[in-house]
Amino acid sequence: MAAVDPVAAITAAEAPALHIPDGFVSAPVAAVGWVLAAAAIALAARRADRNLDERAAPLMGVMAAFIFAGQMVNFPVAGGTSGHLVGGALAAILLGPWAAIIVMTAVVALQALLFQDGGLAALGVNTLNMAVISALVGWGVYRGLQLLRGVHSVVPAVAAFAAAWLSVEAAAVATTLQLAASATSPLAVALPAMVGVHALIGVGEGLITLGALGLVRAARPDLLARHAQAEV
Amino acid sequence: MAVSGLLERYHARHSAIHRAAPRAKLIAALAYIFAITFTREGDWTALALLALPVVAVVVASRLPLLLVLRRALLTLPFLLVALPLLFTRPGETIAELPVLGWTVSDEGAVAVVTILAKSWLSVIVAVVLMATTEAPALLRSLRALRLPRLLVASIEFAYRYLFVVTDEATRMLQARSSRSAAIDGRRSGGSVRWRARVAGNLVGTLFVRSIERSERVHAAMLARGYDGEPRQLAAPALDRAALVVAVLMVLYGCAVQVGVRL
Repeated sequence: MAAVDPVAAITAAEAPALHIPDGFVSAPVAAVGWVLAAAAIALAARRADRNLDERAAPLMGVMAAFIFAGQMVNFPVAGGTSGHLVGGALAAILLGPWAAIIVMTAVVALQALLFQDGGLAALGVNTLNMAVISALVGWGVYRGLQLLRGVHSVVPAVAAFAAAWLSVEAAAVATTLQLAASATSPLAVALPAMVGVHALIGVGEGLITLGALGLVRAARPDLLARHAQAEV
Repeated sequence: MAVSGLLERYHARHSAIHRAAPRAKLIAALAYIFAITFTREGDWTALALLALPVVAVVVASRLPLLLVLRRALLTLPFLLVALPLLFTRPGETIAELPVLGWTVSDEGAVAVVTILAKSWLSVIVAVVLMATTEAPALLRSLRALRLPRLLVASIEFAYRYLFVVTDEATRMLQARSSRSAAIDGRRSGGSVRWRARVAGNLVGTLFVRSIERSERVHAAMLARGYDGEPRQLAAPALDRAALVVAVLMVLYGCAVQVGVRL
């Protein structure tokens, strides 16, 4: 067994997205993914329904279309690479965690069902990673750091950046653990590689999230206040 | 761009698979893909047996064979996450990389080929499902999976506005490039931070426009008597032939997985 340089092996090609295709997760992992995702979605649907009443469906549908389109927006970084958005943290900060879970689930489901971006049996784990974990981590970090608001004026921006960065990182770690549990990827190699690659991807995510929130705060501050209060 | 990846132009073809009830197709595809995931490493018999009905369905669907095979290659880049298995799995050395000196083990090769085959077979099933079922019907059949109503309604709305909002994003991206002169091979246009802020502001604008759109949509729905309960025409009846074929396919998949373990 030879030593492998994991980061070089993966960054050499396209950084792998987090959408796991079918065939890469074992049946037990896929099943557990479905169960956990279903539980989170059921809870989120109930909470979002309560907070938003009959406004919920059109709002979340258009928001899912927005996240889908927002993922097309990228910016050149260097050497042909580009930063772009996954959107879990942004959705959670803008809409609250429960609505964000529904919105991101709709995005992930549409990508799997219409574009083969991510598998069908793997839809459970993909939803868990990109909708549930990324939204909850994004929201948790953002709100957690908001508690320090009085300490320093820079904190809101730092909170948004950290929320976005960690939400991507958390989803990447969850993906790696699932692949390792499925025996399709050796943990010792994949974990540092995925964490390393997504540390970079997370910077793009963080900067775009920051820019987006800055614009919303300037143009429609009422939208940020509305959803910050409606939740919890 | 992602939106061009739709398989819509194959929906208008005629075949037994196209006509089968979307609900039957969705549940059969999902269950069959699940059956495929149970395949053990190096179990070529199971893979071959599982491939038979897939081949039959592809032929019956009258989809262009090349399309199905080519679309199925889309997941290939993801194989990258499994490739380290070639080198990390203990086993007999069957090859050695020049220069680097990493050794490929037989166990590792078997694992990677199995993953590739399972993934390819699963994607073919998914491609047939998506190429023979109109998106609105496919999404509506999600109700049969007992997903929360709010989620299914959100997915349906998202599909309805997907093209509207992605068109809006495309126009904004076009506007950005038309304002950004660049010379090939030369760095241009501010720092990475500044570019990220431009991209972020673009996303923020898209959000504000989208939320305002959702408010207009909601107002229009209220004006037409919406009371929070989405009403639709009844789903088409579940035809028995499709249901029988779907159940048989799933049973066959389970039988293969049980059979190869006996």
